[in-house]
Amino acid sequence: MADGCRRRIVLPREPHAELAAVPLVDLLGERLGFSRDTLAEIKLALVEACLNALEYGQGEVEVEVVAHADAPARLEITVTDHGAGFDVSIVPQPDLTAKLHASRKRGWGIELMRHLMDEVEVHSTPGLTRVRLVRKRKEA
Amino acid sequence: METFELKLAHRDGRLAVLEVAGYINNEAGEAIADTAATLLSEGHRVLILDLAGTRIINSIGISMLLEVLEKVIEVKGTLAFCCLSPSIAKTFQIMGLAQYAKIFPDRAQALAALSVES
Repeated sequence: MADGCRRRIVLPREPHAELAAVPLVDLLGERLGFSRDTLAEIKLALVEACLNALEYGQGEVEVEVVAHADAPARLEITVTDHGAGFDVSIVPQPDLTAKLHASRKRGWGIELMRHLMDEVEVHSTPGLTRVRLVRKRKEA
Repeated sequence: METFELKLAHRDGRLAVLEVAGYINNEAGEAIADTAATLLSEGHRVLILDLAGTRIINSIGISMLLEVLEKVIEVKGTLAFCCLSPSIAKTFQIMGLAQYAKIFPDRAQALAALSVES
């Protein structure tokens, strides 16, 4: 695969760092012919993955975006952090009614990623968490 | 990044419209929640959030909007959103927000429907 189809960035530790990788999605997604609306959904999912990594990770948070032009054309995003890790199988599915009555209303990130992307994989062990997001381009 | 802006665009009796532009994150969400709380304390019971200028929101911003929704429900008011981008509309649909908030395609339709309630 040509290097032009792969981009990496280490997120800066500064305000709005979760947005730092968004331009990579625009750059590579437009090359693959993704619609603007689909790219917007991918960017929302990316931001959620980056927020989690920045909040719970330690050290560098790295984002890699890969454009696969072979069928099915797809964007693959990997967000890697070095935090304590977590067990994704016990992350509760958020319920709006319950959230409205709860003091903590957060906890939507993984749920949103799962609905906005075609594939979401989380591999997490102490010291290394890797979230892989894939969205395929809809064929006309 | 789009700069966050919040503007009280319209108030009429019990109804108020807030225009929201830019990225809705924790800080923006807090600003919206604070302004909404002020409007509720002043007696407004129908709040419309016009998100025409917003293209991206994160889950922390969403949680702040849920704080607003909780307060509106407590006073038996109505929270509505209009002018949602397709990705934000999908986000709200994933959350099931339409169970508790009203969603309109544009501000004119929101005002037409909710002016009666207010």
